[in-house]
Amino acid sequence: MLQAAAAGETAGFGENELVTIGAVLLLAALLARLGQRLSLPTIPFFMAAGILLGPSVPGIVLVDDPVDLELLASLGLILLLFHLGVEFPVQQVVRSGRRLLLVATVYIVLNVGAGILLGLALGFGAQEALVIGGAVGISSSAIVTKVLIELRRLANAETPVVLGIIVVEDIFLAGYLALLSPIIGGAETPLALLGDIALSFGFLLLLVVVARFAAGAVAAVVHSREDELLVIGALGLVLLVAGTSEELGVSDAIGALMIGLVISRTSLSERVERLVRPLRDAFAAVFFIAFGASIDLGAIGSVLVPALIAGCLTLVLNLAAGVFAARVYGYHQRAAANLGLTLLGRGEFSLILATLAVSAGLDDRLASFIAVYVLLLAVVSPLAAANAAWVARRLPDRLFRENFTYVRGETMASSCTHLDTVRQVEPKTPEGCEECLEIGDTWVHLRLCLNCGHVGCCDDSKNKHAAAHFREEDHPVIQSLEPEESWRWCFVDKILIDPGATGTSGEQAQGTRT
Amino acid sequence: MGRHVKIQELMGIGKRYDLGVLGGGQRVSVVLHKDGHRELYAFEKSAEEPSAVLELSDDESRMLGAVLAGTYFED
Repeated sequence: MLQAAAAGETAGFGENELVTIGAVLLLAALLARLGQRLSLPTIPFFMAAGILLGPSVPGIVLVDDPVDLELLASLGLILLLFHLGVEFPVQQVVRSGRRLLLVATVYIVLNVGAGILLGLALGFGAQEALVIGGAVGISSSAIVTKVLIELRRLANAETPVVLGIIVVEDIFLAGYLALLSPIIGGAETPLALLGDIALSFGFLLLLVVVARFAAGAVAAVVHSREDELLVIGALGLVLLVAGTSEELGVSDAIGALMIGLVISRTSLSERVERLVRPLRDAFAAVFFIAFGASIDLGAIGSVLVPALIAGCLTLVLNLAAGVFAARVYGYHQRAAANLGLTLLGRGEFSLILATLAVSAGLDDRLASFIAVYVLLLAVVSPLAAANAAWVARRLPDRLFRENFTYVRGETMASSCTHLDTVRQVEPKTPEGCEECLEIGDTWVHLRLCLNCGHVGCCDDSKNKHAAAHFREEDHPVIQSLEPEESWRWCFVDKILIDPGATGTSGEQAQGTRT
Repeated sequence: MGRHVKIQELMGIGKRYDLGVLGGGQRVSVVLHKDGHRELYAFEKSAEEPSAVLELSDDESRMLGAVLAGTYFED
């Protein structure tokens, strides 16, 4: 602010904090609206507003020192995590089952592990590499959810898995924050570091215990039937806990997230969620703007290539994780591509980790690196997800379960679920189509019902007795009876089931479904 | 009829009700968001992309539901 006053040009104007915040928020909203026309998420545009009005872009410098926004920005960070905790679907996660946990773990280990290795390979220190691991490894809940809604994917078979993975990532985030903040906190000796880590996890555990056994008591403190008093009480509670955890040397982010989790276990959760959401939206925007304003554009040149490499790495690993998930769940190429490319978005959590790194005084380039990476993926991920079909056509069949082969642009909503109706059958009338033989008609090709052994003529034949048999008897799966052909077709799911390279006879293909 | 409706949890969003195969292989999915608004996805036979998506508020959903259920209205 001294600079602006000295320069004389924006004196009096730039010094008024209300003018600063008002102008920058308005610009952020306008830019984000422009982005929405292009179906892009809001986070990169909020950052862009901060960059444009920040000190590193010549012209109008309203935010001459991002520190001016510090208090509001940290409110944004705290409310982002508090809200995440409040709407955390504990019950659904508990019920979700082992497959989701497996798929999410593979996703996280792949991405975070590769991020840490990349950080080391780029010449960052070990502490910085850990921050990069988290920033590169954790998807943005906000962007992923928005992409799913915008692209009309909520009814897809793989969507519950996508949403499940981002929720498991949130749990991982809590643990990672608890580990990371003492490590980057600058303990003098290894023993002190261990003590800090123990304190951090102890605090985490304490709040888990509170959430499990004493959530009602916490709720009683902030409870009110008046919305006004509830939102004030909840805000006071979260700031108090976040501030206390910061004082204890544990990150304020963990405190906010965990007290949100405590609230989520109470009957207040829905109201608090609804009341806090607009507050979160407003202050989170300030957080993203302040982050943008803190970026030194001059330093971007040196981090552009590393950020591009990191982006490509994330893209490849997301597709790999998508293929893995598809194998576990028995999905086809289209679902694999949707999974991987939707989860590509990076945003609020990466920036939260970057903020922690900055306040711990780590390498200066880290913030610019993560900012460029987030800007890149926040813009690329909606575009990539929208073009998932193009990617799906290029994923080779052999990566998937052989029963679920993708057939020349043939689309399907989910995998065939009727293979359990398949039995070991012998053709009842091996000499030809049962009905055609009766009426003395002819056929083109023969199809065998895998439920009862009925032999019928194909849909290219004029009588189409195989399809008629399905309509009458509800036996969904047929197999070709032509020599050299062993494919199956499910009438209900409309999926061609290829026995694949290894299985030439019926029972082998049947045995591969696990 | 019950067995034709599949309920699916959408973590963080709400619940989804898939109405399997209607006549002619069309499918309908209803997404019930936590804040009460609904999205109704309609799919043509064996299509992966929905051919229509309706966004309905709580009230609009009730109105549509009443009409679909055969409630008698006069204008």
